[in-house]
Amino acid sequence: MSQPTLPKNDPGQDSQRTLVNRRPEPSVAKLPRQRPTLNLQALGIYIAAVVIFLIFGMLNPNFLTSGNLRDIAVSASVNAIIGLGITFVIITGGIDLAVGSIASFVGIVSATLMVNAGTSPFLALCAGIALGLVCGAINGLLITKLKLPPFIATLGTMSIYQGLAYVVTNGRPVYNVPKDFVFMLNSYVGGIPVAVILVAVLAILCWLLLRRTVFGQNVIATGGSEETAWLSGVRVDRVKIAVYALSGVLAGVGGLVIVARINAAQTDAGSPYLLTAIASAVIGGANLMGGEGRIAGTLVGALILGALTNGLVLLNVPSFYEQIVTGLVVVIAVALDQGSKGWPLMKKKSPPKKEATA
Amino acid sequence: MVAPLLELQNIAKSFPGVRALNDVSFTLERGEICTLAGENGAGKSTLLAILGGSLVPDHGAVIIEGVQRQHFSPRQALADGVSIAHQEPAIVPQLSVEQNLVLGRTSRQRREAGKDIEQALADVAQMGFPLNAKASVRGLSPAQRHALTIARALAFGAKIVALDEPTTSMLEHNVEGVLNRVREIAHTRGVGIIYVSHKMPEVMSVSDKVVVLRDGTVNYTKPIAQTSEQDIVRNMVGRELLSFKRQHPVRPDAPVLFSASEVSHPTGGGPLSLDVRAGEVLGIAGLVGSGRTEFLRAIIRADKGSTGAVSIDGKKRRIRSPRDSRNAGIAFIPEERKHQGLVLQVPAYFNIALTADRQFNGFGPIISLRKQVAAAEEAAARMSLRPANVRLNARQFSGGNQQKIVIAKWTWRNTKVFLFDEPTKGVDVGGKVEIYELIDALAKAGSAVIVVSSDLPEIISLSDRVKVMRQGQFVSEHTGDDINEHSLVANAMGIAERTTT
Repeated sequence: MSQPTLPKNDPGQDSQRTLVNRRPEPSVAKLPRQRPTLNLQALGIYIAAVVIFLIFGMLNPNFLTSGNLRDIAVSASVNAIIGLGITFVIITGGIDLAVGSIASFVGIVSATLMVNAGTSPFLALCAGIALGLVCGAINGLLITKLKLPPFIATLGTMSIYQGLAYVVTNGRPVYNVPKDFVFMLNSYVGGIPVAVILVAVLAILCWLLLRRTVFGQNVIATGGSEETAWLSGVRVDRVKIAVYALSGVLAGVGGLVIVARINAAQTDAGSPYLLTAIASAVIGGANLMGGEGRIAGTLVGALILGALTNGLVLLNVPSFYEQIVTGLVVVIAVALDQGSKGWPLMKKKSPPKKEATA
Repeated sequence: MVAPLLELQNIAKSFPGVRALNDVSFTLERGEICTLAGENGAGKSTLLAILGGSLVPDHGAVIIEGVQRQHFSPRQALADGVSIAHQEPAIVPQLSVEQNLVLGRTSRQRREAGKDIEQALADVAQMGFPLNAKASVRGLSPAQRHALTIARALAFGAKIVALDEPTTSMLEHNVEGVLNRVREIAHTRGVGIIYVSHKMPEVMSVSDKVVVLRDGTVNYTKPIAQTSEQDIVRNMVGRELLSFKRQHPVRPDAPVLFSASEVSHPTGGGPLSLDVRAGEVLGIAGLVGSGRTEFLRAIIRADKGSTGAVSIDGKKRRIRSPRDSRNAGIAFIPEERKHQGLVLQVPAYFNIALTADRQFNGFGPIISLRKQVAAAEEAAARMSLRPANVRLNARQFSGGNQQKIVIAKWTWRNTKVFLFDEPTKGVDVGGKVEIYELIDALAKAGSAVIVVSSDLPEIISLSDRVKVMRQGQFVSEHTGDDINEHSLVANAMGIAERTTT
C-alpha cells in the first residue's frame, strides 16, 4: 500500500509555509473517546410518548393497566412492522406508497393458499414473504432501471397490487384461516403477544442492519448524498432495490399479522396502514429528504399512534376525531423536527444584511 | 453635469472564507459598451449578481442615474431598468418564445407588452435569428436560445444590460450579426451595456472601454482604442502567488503510472488521451466550461455514455462505473465537496469509511464500529484533520478540513491515481497550503496526480506539467518555465497563435 506520509516538520520547509499556523498536532490516540452528542430531538419523541401515556392514564385509570398496554402494543405492531421497512425507504430519500397494497395482497394470497389449496401454514407464510419480496423488488427496479420517481412508481404499483389482491378471490374475503397459522402469529408466549415479540426481533435486526452493516451505511449515504455515494463506489441502484424489497417483505409480514389477528384475509385489509406506517416513521424522526431516520423512533411513533387510538376510544371520543388527532400529531412532530433545525421559513424573514458579515 | 447612467462605488463582498470583491468602482455611460474582463474567480459573476440584485454588497454603493439603490432584490433591479442575460440562458423550454419574453413581468406589464414583444422579436430577427412568437422554445438551438435571452434583456425599456458570455454557443458569422445589433441598440436607445466575454476579438470589436478585474479589484480601465489584446491579458494575470513550492518534483526517470486514451464524455469534448508518471502532478488549466470536469468524470465513468480506456502500471483496467474505478485504485476528489464529496449529516469516520466496502470493517458485511473509527482516526491523523475528532459530523468541519476528509476517504485504500477537481475551492489561504502539502505528499509517495483548477497560481505552484483545455480539447502542454500565467491564459483563451505570428 502506498500510504502517503506527510512531510514532517524539518526546518528546510518552514520557510515555505509561513501561511500555515502549525500547532503541535494532538495525538489522536490519546483523545478521550467522546460519546455521540445527545440528540435532543431524538429524546423529544420519547418524552412526548411518556407525556401522552401519562395524560391518558390520568384521564382514564383503565388506560395504564397491563391488559390495556398489551392491547396498545398489539394494535401498534402492524404499523411498527410496516413502518420499519418504510424507515429504510425514507432514509434513502424515497417513499413507498405500495406497502398497504402489498400487505393486502400477501395476506389474501397466503390465506387462499392455506384455505383453498391446503398449503401448510409455514409454507404459506414463506410464500407470503417471498411475494412481498418480489413486489418490493419490482418497485425498486421501476425506480432504478426505469428512473421513475419513487412516488410515481409506488403510486402505480399500489394500484396494481391492490387490483391483483381483488383478482385473486374476485374481491371476496377468505375466512376460516387454519388455527395453526393464527397460533403462529396471534398467541402469547409467557404472557407476551407473539406480534410484540416479532416486532422486537424485527426491530433489533433492522437496527443491526442499518447501523452495523456496510449495507446500512450505504443506505444512509445514498439518502444523505446520492452523488457522493455513487462517486465513492456505492452501487446505489442495488441499495435502492434492496431497500424496496425489504420494505415489501416487512409489508408482507404486516399483512400476515393482520390475517392472524382477524382470522380472515380481506382484500383491502392493508390499505389503512399505508398512511399510519409512514406517519410512524415520520413521527420517529425519518426525514423525507433522506439521510435520516431511526428504528427506535419509528417504534415509538407507532406506539404513540396506537396509544392515541386506544386512549380516545377509552374516553368515548367518537372515532372520527381520531384521524384529526393523528394528523395533528404528525404535523406537530415534523414541525418540531424542523424547528430544531431552525425553521428555514423564519430564517428568510431575518434581514439579508446578516449573511454579509461572514 | 448629468450623473452617469451607472456608478459603482467601492463595492466589496465576502463569502465565508473567500473575499470575492475587494473594492470595485467604475462608471457606465448611456450608450456605452463596457467589457468586464478577468480570470475565472476574479469576481465578475459576483459583481453581476450584485448589479442584478440577487446579492447584497457588504460595502459600497450602486448608483443609477444619480440615485443610490437602497434595496437589493431581483425585482428592484428590474424596476431600476437593469437586466442580465446569463451565460446559461434562463428560459423555460416548455413555454413559447413570447411567454419567455414576458417571464417575470407582472400581469399588468404583460398586457401592455405588445410593442415590447414586437421590438424584441425584431431585434432577434436582425441578429440573424428570425423566431416565431408562438413557437415552443424546446425546439430552438442553443444559439437561438442565447439570442432570445439577449433580446429579452434588451427589451422592456432596459437601461443597463449585462451580457454574460452571450456568444459561447454561436458560430462566427452569427456572432457578428448579434454584436452589430447589440451595438446599434446601445447607441440608438442609449442603453449602457456591460459585456463579459473571454473572446478577445469580440471584446476588441464591440466595446468602447474595458475594465479588468483581478483579485476582486479593478486592475485596469482603458478606452478600447488605447489598448490591445495583449495589454488586457497581461492585466488579467499576475494574481498574488502563495509562497508554496513543491518539495518533491517528479523524478525525470519515473515510469508512466496512469494513462487514459480516447476518453470522451457524452456532453461532447474529447476524445482525449494523456499519461501521468508516478510521482507526477499534472495540472489541467482552462476556462470554466472548457470540459475539464467532464474529462475527469469520464475517466471514472461517473456519467453514462462516457467512453475510453484506462491503464494503470501498464495494465489495462476495465472501468464501467466509479466502483470499478475505485477498485482499480483511482480516486476522484470532486469540485462540489458538500454535494459530491461528503455526506454532511453523518460523522467524519462514516465518510472516510464510505469507500471501504468490506475490507476494513471486521467480519464480512458486519461492521465493527471500533475498527472503523480507529482506521478513520489513523487516516485523519495523516491528514492532520482539525479538530482531530472523527466522530464529529462532516458538516462541523471547515472547508479545508472537509477536503481533508474527502482525501482521507481514498488514502486508506490502495489508491494510486488521484484526480482532483478544484481542490481548494472555498478553502481559506492557510487551508490551501495544507492541501498543497497533502498533494505533494501523495506525489512523493509515488501516486499519479491530476489537478484541475481555475486558480492559476495553484496550478503553477503544484504542477510538474500543465495541459491547457479549450472547448473540450487539449490545446497546449507546458513544462518548466513555460508554466506561467501569461502563456496558460493565452492558450486557454485561444489567442496564443496570434501572439506568435
